[in-house]
Amino acid sequence: MDFDFSPVTDNWRYLATGLGITLLLSILTVVCSLIAGTLIALGRMYGPTWLQKILTFYIDSQRAIPVLVVLVWIYFALPVLTGVNFPPFWAALLALTLHISAYVAEIVRAGISSVRNGQTQAGLVLGMSPRQVLTKIILPQAIIRMLPSIGSIISITIKDTAIAAVIAVPELMKRAETVSGQTFRPMEVFTTIMVVYFLVLFPTTRLIDRLYDRVSYRGRS
Amino acid sequence: MSNVTEADFGRKNASSTPVVEYRDVRKQYGNFTALDGVSARVNRGEVLCLIGPSGSGKSTLLRTTNALEVIDGGQLYFDGHPLPSSKAEIRKVRQRMGMVFQSFELFPHKTVLENITIGPLTVLGISEAEANARARVLLEKVGLTDKADRYPANLSGGQQQRVAIARALAMEPEVMLFDEPTSALDPETIGEVLNVMKRLADEGMTMVVVTHEMSFARRVADWVVVFDHGKIVEQGPPAQIFDAPREDRTRNFLSHLGWNG
Amino acid sequence: MNLDWSVVWQFSGTLAKGAGITILLTIATMAVAVPGGIVLALMRLSPNRVLNWMALCFVEFFRNIPLILLVYWSFYVLPVLSGLTLPPFTTGLVALALNVSAYNSETFRAGINSIRKGQSEAGLALGMSHIEVMRKIVLPQAARRVLPVLASTWVSLFKDTSLVSVIAVGELAHTALEIRSQTFRILEILTAMAVIYWVLGYPQAKLADWIYRKWGVKE
Ligand SMILES: Nc1ncnc2c1ncn2[C@@H]1O[C@H](COP(=O)(O)OP(=O)(O)OP(=O)(O)O)[C@@H](O)[C@H]1O
Ligand SMILES: [Mg+2]
Repeated sequence: MDFDFSPVTDNWRYLATGLGITLLLSILTVVCSLIAGTLIALGRMYGPTWLQKILTFYIDSQRAIPVLVVLVWIYFALPVLTGVNFPPFWAALLALTLHISAYVAEIVRAGISSVRNGQTQAGLVLGMSPRQVLTKIILPQAIIRMLPSIGSIISITIKDTAIAAVIAVPELMKRAETVSGQTFRPMEVFTTIMVVYFLVLFPTTRLIDRLYDRVSYRGRS
Repeated sequence: MSNVTEADFGRKNASSTPVVEYRDVRKQYGNFTALDGVSARVNRGEVLCLIGPSGSGKSTLLRTTNALEVIDGGQLYFDGHPLPSSKAEIRKVRQRMGMVFQSFELFPHKTVLENITIGPLTVLGISEAEANARARVLLEKVGLTDKADRYPANLSGGQQQRVAIARALAMEPEVMLFDEPTSALDPETIGEVLNVMKRLADEGMTMVVVTHEMSFARRVADWVVVFDHGKIVEQGPPAQIFDAPREDRTRNFLSHLGWNG
Repeated sequence: MNLDWSVVWQFSGTLAKGAGITILLTIATMAVAVPGGIVLALMRLSPNRVLNWMALCFVEFFRNIPLILLVYWSFYVLPVLSGLTLPPFTTGLVALALNVSAYNSETFRAGINSIRKGQSEAGLALGMSHIEVMRKIVLPQAARRVLPVLASTWVSLFKDTSLVSVIAVGELAHTALEIRSQTFRILEILTAMAVIYWVLGYPQAKLADWIYRKWGVKE
């Protein structure tokens, strides 16, 4: 068996740009999903009953459907319905956010419900409004408790962006496919980017676990 | 307004408007009657201790005082006015009452100093400098000046409860409500909390204290209310309750605790 | 916009076959990944440092790469490394099993670790035999930790099988995407695909929730 890594080295700039797009898509998806997921969770916990029902259904449906299906549906089917074509990158951001925000919503809900009832009362007896109790007392603690789960969300998001290759978003996975197809060196190319993904993902999850170890006591009431 | 009965005669500030007055207060949980027509008053500057067996309704009565529990019958007066029903008005009333919980309930994401300033800052809207100055004075009072920048997780139970007292005092309340403030503490830290409470009483703070610490009640209370099954069994000055109880149930309760004067 | 939903009925047999393969692939993967996970977990807990370290590397590596990349890699690299030409179904099964075994190993490890030594000592002190302690005390408690996590891994796996569509395993996603390019009834077919996944996946997700509520350990 002979190895030839020149396809990787020759195209490193092309692949590196792909990694940049992977990271950009990941960051945007995480930010949008955290915001949307928090709103969904709040609506599900404190909204009117009809909204709670709709949001529960939405969350459970996203948990039942593969992200690949959401991606191809948003990219291929939605334009048929609306007549508006999204560029692949934005279609991927929309689809990934739709999917991942449902998971974030579950995490936020679990985080909020895990804060003891006594904390709410301690805020109320100081004369705070329910909104002040939520934003100043419950949410900050919930966020600290959610850190490990947010770490998993970041990791899942980075991994899921690779699926956007299916709708030709020019991120790392797609570019690896292109290079491997042109050079007929799939083994070297795919093995290399596997290591690259690992080198991005492993430290990221470790870093967040570290951070949590350092601040977890601030969420324990 | 303040209908002084014979029984109240001789109590501290008996002739002026009580800070808190319960008139025939009732509270139901489903079919269960937690408060069955409770009438009592808390005069200004008085320390009132609520004692009684577990499940008798002491916490429930305390929590109706600041509307954490809504009453199902009777009337509750704060400073001569019926407790309001609108949420905004209740918030105003709560700002004038302090409450200390059995489980401390300090905010774990805030430092000790921030725990004390959060009330005045968010609710009273005073300046940060003023809130900090106020907090430092209170920390000195509860003997924790050196712990200002610690997080609650790094304090002992007794220290946490003293911070919780300071947090309540920071609102400059007219009455302090304590719900078994020492029940969750290690025996060796109970004393430091009781001492802080004793000092508060000596300064003339109006206090309602649910407690199982009979020696504290005997020593510090001006008035003791004995509870059983959602009703007041007997109330009177500590000398009466502890040395010459008029009711058998009071005597039974005290002897169960091993109290013998 | 003219929609023609009859295309869905026309291809309903093909779609059903795809859904069947999706389910088969899910079951087959779990059948490999549960024993795989147990072996890895035992390696992780063994006092042998080499075994321990090998299992750690395996688990951390396969948990920290995108599954779709693992699918491609298995497709292109596995035949070269092994000298065998595997059918797409088997290739997809290998990729999924590597991934799910890594996750299951962490599940089993957490389950075993959760049982404090005091628990088995308490059993022994009552005069139970080691086997009785295992059967009546250790395993039931471990199962309460493991089962709910396995159930949610199952749901994830069911959805992840769609990723092997990129190497032409004829499961539901691949089948639907093929019909789409044959008929150009994009909206109808892709919607049908989403609905079929939903119909199959929704009860599974609810069942996993139920298992968690019934057996899950709440801390
Ligand atoms: N939210 C609730 N729902 C139903 N019943 C309740 C509720 N809160 C309290 N109770 C019941 O009301 C009764 C009085 O409770 P309360 O907490 O006031 O007792 P307590 O005198 O403070 O007892 P302890 O000394 O144990 O704290 C108890 O029997 C309790 O079970
Ligand atoms: Mg109580």
